Amino acid sequence: MSDFSTPTAHDGRRLAKELLLDGQGLRELIIAGMTWLKTNQQLVNSLNVFPVPDGDTGTNMLLTMQAAYNEIANSGEKNVGKMAHAIAQGALMGARGNSGVILSQLFRGFARGMDTLDAMDAPVFVKALVEAKITAYKGVVRPVEGTILTVAKDMAAEAEKALAETQDLNLILERVVDAADRSVKHTPELLPILKQAGVVDSGGKGLFFILEGMQRFLKGQALDVAVTTVQPLAAMVMENTLEQVEEGQDFEVVVDFRPEQELNLEKFYSELSEIGTSIQVGEGDGMYRMHIHVPTEKRYVPIDYIMGLGTITKVAMENLLAQMDQIGKEHTPKLHFAPVEPGQIAVVAVSPGTGISRIFASLGVAAVVEGGQTMNPSTEEILHAFENLATDKVVILPDNKNIIMAAQSAATMTVKKVAVIPTKTVPQGLNAMLRLNPEGEFDQVVKEMTQALEDVDTGEITIATRTVEINGIDVHEGEVIAIFNGKVVLAAHSIEEACLRFLEKAKAEDHERITLFYGNNISKNEVNLIVDKVRSMYPNHEIELHEGGQPHYQFIIAIE
Amino acid sequence: MSEEANPLGNIYISHRAIATIASQSALESYGVVGLAAKDLAEGLAQVLEKHPRHGIDVRYDSEGIEIDLYIIVEYGTRIKSVASSVAENVRYYVERAIGLPVRQVNVHVRGLRISNTD
Repeated sequence: MSDFSTPTAHDGRRLAKELLLDGQGLRELIIAGMTWLKTNQQLVNSLNVFPVPDGDTGTNMLLTMQAAYNEIANSGEKNVGKMAHAIAQGALMGARGNSGVILSQLFRGFARGMDTLDAMDAPVFVKALVEAKITAYKGVVRPVEGTILTVAKDMAAEAEKALAETQDLNLILERVVDAADRSVKHTPELLPILKQAGVVDSGGKGLFFILEGMQRFLKGQALDVAVTTVQPLAAMVMENTLEQVEEGQDFEVVVDFRPEQELNLEKFYSELSEIGTSIQVGEGDGMYRMHIHVPTEKRYVPIDYIMGLGTITKVAMENLLAQMDQIGKEHTPKLHFAPVEPGQIAVVAVSPGTGISRIFASLGVAAVVEGGQTMNPSTEEILHAFENLATDKVVILPDNKNIIMAAQSAATMTVKKVAVIPTKTVPQGLNAMLRLNPEGEFDQVVKEMTQALEDVDTGEITIATRTVEINGIDVHEGEVIAIFNGKVVLAAHSIEEACLRFLEKAKAEDHERITLFYGNNISKNEVNLIVDKVRSMYPNHEIELHEGGQPHYQFIIAIE
Repeated sequence: MSEEANPLGNIYISHRAIATIASQSALESYGVVGLAAKDLAEGLAQVLEKHPRHGIDVRYDSEGIEIDLYIIVEYGTRIKSVASSVAENVRYYVERAIGLPVRQVNVHVRGLRISNTD
């Protein structure tokens, strides 16, 4: 019925001209689409504009595809309609994230267009694509254009146009893939936020890869090597690549050039990968930009290599180590987290500021999730932080009472053994960290870490954002307030007054050690003046000062 | 009424304003096909009504904003994914627009709409 009879790939079969595709043929196309999406998953993930969990669009779409595939993995179904319905069912059950849900609706419409036909020909394929679009659009009140929905719409429109000219499924698919490609590239024109971020829509790109995978399969092209990933020049975000500096690859080389003849991208990539890592290629108006990380001694090799291909217009070379130091001063330095061995207990801490992250890292946490009072990390972000760790025993320190719930729900979403220690403040988290024994027995370690919470008192100094009477204290907005273990205990006219009165209130004289973490909203001068005062008032205490870098709170104070 | 200070005076943001932002971002979320009356007595007949507080409940205290969404979901979508997407969407847009923390977004799926029969 079709020429897909064996499930082996890459041998360049074309669908017969008069062509019919049966259930098994569709199954193979789905596998091809899934494989190609997997190969390009990271690229799709990197097209991220919203700081929301759906930033993992590639992963979400892939998981949805895998759920669809699981439904049909061992199916011998010959009927293409029934196969399509099984795929839709699998996608629905496993839909992850926004893009996954939309993908599942596309499959659902696709299946409906197919009804229970034995085999698919060109008109049925086109009808199914149109149904897919219609079904997907029904799922939202106000469709946002410039997304995966737009790409599905453009695909359906092109399919209808193509059908008027040919009955060859190969040709129609080719035109649909081209239309998807153009549509994806056009998304920034429709959705300003994409344009600002200099990216194309990630869900649309994912859908494009699924279709392109099918086409590559039919053409017999490899599906497991991401070879020709050229992005628009504007989308090359160099700063991101800095976070992935590999050992020994100390130089970043960026070369702009105009090739003499059309660039053979596969060859270009494979030869570059002999030289270095983190290869990116961008293209715009016939102008190419190549980005690569290389070891110091090879820093001129890429330039010589490209010299042979065309005219070089610009070369930029940077010493990454020096650059990282520089960025570290302005932004977050690269943190060195404790390596995790299988079986060990790994700790994930939520940290509101760069300085605090550094302290957590030095105490041996395996990962840090950024977040705090105003920007609570999502369940997904927390989950993401520990899912790839090499161990299945994880402890989470939320360090803020608003984040405890997200951490607990992350704990239920994994097969790993996860304990959330309900740390409400950073000092509690740091104190719990001191009790970590990565080799210890899990329940025992969790118990000890939890007990550590009682050994520390926390003070937080901030400016009141509104006038309120709370706990019998009149707080006027603009006044400095001190929060003692989560409760507002006093209002003062200056930060210094708030600190000193807070220490008195917290009975600091009965304790031994005061640690102050200053925020990003107070000058170093002011900090020094205040700490000098504290030192003179508590001469017998051990007083430590650290840069916390947290927003909102001028000081976080730990008293032990 | 949320309040925040700026050097010249106070900024007051009404619940209604927050509800409008929440409502817009909810309706742009995939899988959400309408907002439902908060209590069923009001009836599902008012689905899609333009009133911005319809199907949205906003509370505010010193800890942040709490939002309850009462939504109608397209039948045949994975409700769990739709619900978490809409919660994230609403939180993101409200926080971005208002600049105050959204502590909680509770999503109540009040019904399903069947527009596609398979």
